[in-house]
Amino acid sequence: MSTSAIRDYAKAKGFNRQTLDRWLGWQAADQDALEEIASSLKIGENHLRDMMDWLEEIALRDGAKIHEILARPAVFSIKTDPRLGRADKLKRIKEQLRRWRFPRLAGIEESIRIKIRSLKLPPEIRLGVPAGLEGGRLQVEFSAGSVAELGKLAQRLSEAASTSLAAEIFDLLAGRTRENERGQS
Amino acid sequence: MKNLHFDKVIVERGSEASPIYYKMRRSLAHLPFKIVDTLALDNTAIAHGDRFGTAKRTLYLTRHKGDFFKKCPGSEGQVCCNYFVINFASNCPMDCSYCYLQEYLADNSALKIFSNVYDLIDEADRMLTRHRGVFFRVGTGEITDSLALEPYTGMMGELIPYFAEQPNVLLELKTKSDRVESLFDLDPKGRVVVGWSMNPQRVIELDEHGTASLTERLNAARLCQEAGYRLGFHFDPMIEYPGWETDYQSMLEQTFATVDWRKLSWLSLGVLRQTPALKRTMRERFPSSALLAGEQVLCPDGKMRYFQPLRVEMYRKMVHWIRRAAPTVKIYLCMESRQVWEQVFGFAPACEKELGNQMAPGVEQPIHA
Repeated sequence: MSTSAIRDYAKAKGFNRQTLDRWLGWQAADQDALEEIASSLKIGENHLRDMMDWLEEIALRDGAKIHEILARPAVFSIKTDPRLGRADKLKRIKEQLRRWRFPRLAGIEESIRIKIRSLKLPPEIRLGVPAGLEGGRLQVEFSAGSVAELGKLAQRLSEAASTSLAAEIFDLLAGRTRENERGQS
Repeated sequence: MKNLHFDKVIVERGSEASPIYYKMRRSLAHLPFKIVDTLALDNTAIAHGDRFGTAKRTLYLTRHKGDFFKKCPGSEGQVCCNYFVINFASNCPMDCSYCYLQEYLADNSALKIFSNVYDLIDEADRMLTRHRGVFFRVGTGEITDSLALEPYTGMMGELIPYFAEQPNVLLELKTKSDRVESLFDLDPKGRVVVGWSMNPQRVIELDEHGTASLTERLNAARLCQEAGYRLGFHFDPMIEYPGWETDYQSMLEQTFATVDWRKLSWLSLGVLRQTPALKRTMRERFPSSALLAGEQVLCPDGKMRYFQPLRVEMYRKMVHWIRRAAPTVKIYLCMESRQVWEQVFGFAPACEKELGNQMAPGVEQPIHA
């Protein structure tokens, strides 16, 4: 690969000059590793900038090279999975990079997702958390087609709210875990 | 603290009559002084490289043409502590990697000291006299360090005697320096708080370039307390890294072993905050700073902070450690939402006046006991 391939790609995609300069400021092996993924998945500038942010910051934190991060098996298996289309591959690679970049945030999000699933609520009730868990509140959305259904769903929600799982979800949102409580003793 | 180094002083004509000018001529006698009719402050004149860093090496003495006395802008949607600011200078001679001035003053980064200090006092006097029933907490450290330039400017010799006589104000001097010697000749009369921005020595070494060490800050604080000054400590920006708990606990122990916590005016807590634009600047100026790799997310006010459960946990631990040593000291959070207040303290102030009034001298109830 060469910088000309990157310049051509950036030109074809109409990239901002700053994005191109930042990319070209990387070491050659890192430039090439990103170029390979960008070309094969036809990644646009906004997605690429997210990836560059996360890759640089993972590399800084872990003392790793960017091309080494992109060569990890988790990325390789997504890149080469024949069942996935281009958009799905990009989505999954970004999700993986985000998990590496924000391991504790991603871990809490995943724990909350598991607990929400374990509540076994009907599909008419949807529970979720805000992006980045900012705000510390559980979002609840439900739809009903009749008074009877509304009553039934409200009952299910009320039952869910009284479980220990629900309490654990709010503890996670409030940064309260058993480990933390021990740390304050 | 290491000496600050400047290359020259540029004086706007008309500023030579200021007491600040006289002090600078004496204290910086080794530097060339140039008097000019008009200041060319455009930092694009600095051809290449680190424009922001380079701008810190020239001191400008100029008249401030706008208002001196302003309400602290706070941050949108966050609980406000009803703080007012007076800017007697613009930009800071020290160079913290996370400093928001890198973005805020990016196009106006000249290190300026304002010579018309009597205009500042007149303006403050009009405000404080007109609103005698209102208690003002006023800080001078919004866009500069309050004390780092003090040995060269003598600004406090002008400000403190005025503010010390006002019944409805506390003047806070926020600093990361240990430049407090000139304060000891002045009587603050209980109206002046010297506030230190605090971090463990490890953070100071890595990210607070040119500032006083933790021990130097604490020694300066002790001397100020002995000289009759009120003290404040701002554990802000708190930085999260492997082992931060040990370092911050140790810093708190050192703090409470050095000063009498019963005489502290307030402590504040705040985590590292960056806008995306500031982060871009940090990448350019401090590419190896580990602060770039924290688990920060974009919050509704446009600032990036550690994700909420993480920073709530940090605040809760800090409050716990502080309370263990100083059970009734006033603690507040800087630029945080009501939800975060509630998660940390179990309540949020009803309004900004409630929080501001808690800081008034004579109000001895803790904000959180």
